[in-house]
Amino acid sequence: MAPRTDTAPAPKTRRRVLEGARTFASRKRTREIGLVWLFLAPSLAIFTIYRIVPLIWNGVLSFQFWSPYKPAEFAGLYHYEEMLFYDEAFWETLWNTLIFMASAPVGIALALGVALLVDTPIRGRNTYRTIVFMSYPVMTVAVGIIWQWLFNEKVGLINYVLISLGVIDQGIPFLESFTFALPAVIVASIWQVIGFYMIILLTGLQSIPPSLYEAAAIDGAGAVQRFRRITLPLIRPSLFLCFVVGIINSFTAFDLIFVMTGGGPGHATDLLVTYIYSTAFRLSKFDYAAAITVVNFLLFVALAFLANRLAGGEAGAVKPGG
Amino acid sequence: MKRLAAALAAGALALGLLPGMAAAQEKKITVMTWNIPYFEEGFQVWVDEFKKLHPDFTVERIDMKGTELPTFYQTQVVAGTPPDIVDVQGGLWLEYASQGGLTDLTPFLERDKDYTGRLYPEVLANWEYEGKNYGVPLYVSKTLLFLNRKMMQEAGITKDPESFDEIMTAAEKMAGGEKTGLMTLNFDWLYWPLFAMNGVEFVNEAGTEAAFNTPETVALVQRLAEATQKGVIDKISWTGRWVEPNGAFAAGTVGMLHAHAPAYLWFQSKADWVNPETVGAINLPGGWSTPNSHALIMSKGTKWPEQSWDFMKIATSGAGAKAMGTGTNNLTGDRAVNEELMAYFAKEIPAVVPALETQFQNLDKLTGNWPFAKDAALKEAFYPELQAAVLGEKDVKEALDSAERKVNRVLSSR
Repeated sequence: MAPRTDTAPAPKTRRRVLEGARTFASRKRTREIGLVWLFLAPSLAIFTIYRIVPLIWNGVLSFQFWSPYKPAEFAGLYHYEEMLFYDEAFWETLWNTLIFMASAPVGIALALGVALLVDTPIRGRNTYRTIVFMSYPVMTVAVGIIWQWLFNEKVGLINYVLISLGVIDQGIPFLESFTFALPAVIVASIWQVIGFYMIILLTGLQSIPPSLYEAAAIDGAGAVQRFRRITLPLIRPSLFLCFVVGIINSFTAFDLIFVMTGGGPGHATDLLVTYIYSTAFRLSKFDYAAAITVVNFLLFVALAFLANRLAGGEAGAVKPGG
Repeated sequence: MKRLAAALAAGALALGLLPGMAAAQEKKITVMTWNIPYFEEGFQVWVDEFKKLHPDFTVERIDMKGTELPTFYQTQVVAGTPPDIVDVQGGLWLEYASQGGLTDLTPFLERDKDYTGRLYPEVLANWEYEGKNYGVPLYVSKTLLFLNRKMMQEAGITKDPESFDEIMTAAEKMAGGEKTGLMTLNFDWLYWPLFAMNGVEFVNEAGTEAAFNTPETVALVQRLAEATQKGVIDKISWTGRWVEPNGAFAAGTVGMLHAHAPAYLWFQSKADWVNPETVGAINLPGGWSTPNSHALIMSKGTKWPEQSWDFMKIATSGAGAKAMGTGTNNLTGDRAVNEELMAYFAKEIPAVVPALETQFQNLDKLTGNWPFAKDAALKEAFYPELQAAVLGEKDVKEALDSAERKVNRVLSSR
C-alpha cells in the first residue's frame, strides 16, 4: 500500500474533483451524443420522410376506401378479405415472386462456377471477368429488349439454334407461353445479375489465404473436400450478400418484367411488384394496391429476418472498435 | 434575439407564401396529350387561336406515352395539380368520371350549340356517363378488317368475307407454315366485335350481371382456341398490344388483321408491299366495330374551366381540328372538317382513304364501348381468362365460368 503523501487532496476535496470530472465527462458525452444525432439527423429525416411516413400511410390506406377523387372511408379488412379469398391473381403473383426468388441460388451457383474458373491462373482471365461482368451495367430496359428478341418465336436466336440442332421442329413462343414465359424472364434476370454475383464471389475467393489450401493439400484433402471445407465456409459472407441481392432483385424486377412481357400472358409473369403497380395505376385501386404492398413488405421483412438468422444473426451489425 | 427570430420567421413565411401567391396569379392552362410528341405545328395552331381569345394566358404542353399517362395523371391529381385538359383513349376516362374527377361538360355543350352541332352525336355519346358528357372527340377511330389481298389470291379466295364463318374459312385457307390467317388487336375490348357478330352480349340489359357465359360463347371460344392452336389465328392476337400485331401484319404473313384505322399508316410505314391494291379495308360482317377514339377531358381540379373549354373547342373543331387531322393523319369529330380532311387524304395519302371511309359507317353497330365505371377492372376480370382459354392453358368452359364469377364480383362490388 502506498503511503499517503501530504500533496494528496483531502477526502472532501477529492469528492469534489471526482464530481467535477464526472460532470465534465457527462457533459462531454452529452455533447458527443448530440453531435452524433446532428450528423444522423439529415439521413434520418430523409429516411423518415421517404420510407417511414409512406410505409405508415400505406398501412393506413390499406384499411380505407380511397381514391384520388374522393374523401377516404374506413374499409376495415375489406381489401385483405378480397385479396386472400377472392383474388386469384394475387396468389398467382405471390407464387411467381417466390419462384423468382428461388431462382437466385441458381444464379449464385452459376456465378460461383464462373468465379472459380476466372480465379484460376489462366491466360486472359481479366478479359473473361470483364466479359462476364459486362451484362451487369447494361440498362435493364435494354436487357429486356435484347432477350425479347432472343426469345422471339419466329426470328429469335434461341429458337433458330434449337431448330437447327433438331431439338424442336417449330419455334416456341417463349414469352407468349404460360409455361415458358416466367422461366424465360428468370433466365434474362440471371444473365444480367450473374456478373455482379461473380465479382462479389471473386473477392471472397481472393481473400482466402493460399496457405489454407496448401496445408489441406499436405493433409491429403482432395479438391472437393477443399472446396467444401475451406472455400464454401470462407465465402459465406459473399454468398449471403449475393443471396440478399437476389431476394431484393426478385422484389424489384419491375422494369425487366414490364419490358419483356408486361406481366402476361394472363398473370404468368406478374410479380407482386408489377401487380401492385397495375392494380394502382391501371385499375385505379390504390387502396387495394396498398393492402398488397403490406403483404409484400411483411414477406420481405420475414425473408430478411430469415436471411439474417442464416448468416449468424448479426448481418450488418456495427461492432465496437471494429 | 427575439427580434432576430421574429424577422427570420417573417422572412420564412414570406418566402413560403410568395410562390403560392405567384401560382395563384399565374394564368396558365396545362394540356396533356397522348403520345403525339411530333404534333408540334398543329399544337401551335391551337395555342395561337387560344391566345387570340385569352392573350394573357400561357399554355403548357405535356406529352405522355399511353402506358405512362394514367400513372402521371393520377399522381398529379393526388398532388393537387392535375393538367387542366387531358387527351384520353378508350374507356380510361370512365373510372375518373365515375369518381367525380372530371368536369361535367354537358352545360358547356348545351350552351355552345354552334360547336356541339358540328360534332357527330353518335361519336359524342361515347363519352357519356350517367347522362352527363365528360369528353369531346379529338380524333376518331374504330375497328375494321384489313385484308392481305396477295395472300387471299394465293389461297384462291375471290370474295371478301361476309360472316364470321367466312372469316374463319378464309383464315384456314390462308394459314400454313409461317403464315397465319387472322389476327386481332386485343386491348380496350378491340376484339369484342368477333363476339358481337356471334350474338354474344357481355352483360345483361341492366348492366348488373354477366351475360356472356352461354353454350354459344363456349362454342365460339372453343373455335377461336382451336384456330389459335392450329396457327390459323396468330397467337400474337392474344399476347401482343400494338407494335407486335401490326408488325406481324407488316411482315406480309398474316391474311387478315382486325384493327382500327390508324394501324394502316403504321404497318404501311414498315412495309413496302402495302398499297391499296395489296391491302383491302372493309367493315366487319354485320358492321360491328369497337371505337378507340381519343377525347379531350377536363379535370375537375382546373382553376380555369372557361378558358380550358375554349381551348378544347379550338382543338376539336374548325381549323384546330383540321390541324389535328393533317398533323396525325386521323379523322376528327367535326363533320365539316372531316369532309375537308377526306379531300386532303385523297390527294396526299390516297392509300389510307379506304380505311378512313369505314370510320363513320355503321355508327349504330359500335360495341365494346360500354360505360362501365369499373371498365378497367372488368377488362382485368374477363380478358386473362379468355386469353388462357384461347391459348390452350385452360378449358374453355372452366375459363368462362371463372370469368363470369370475376365479372359478377366486379359488377357487384362497391
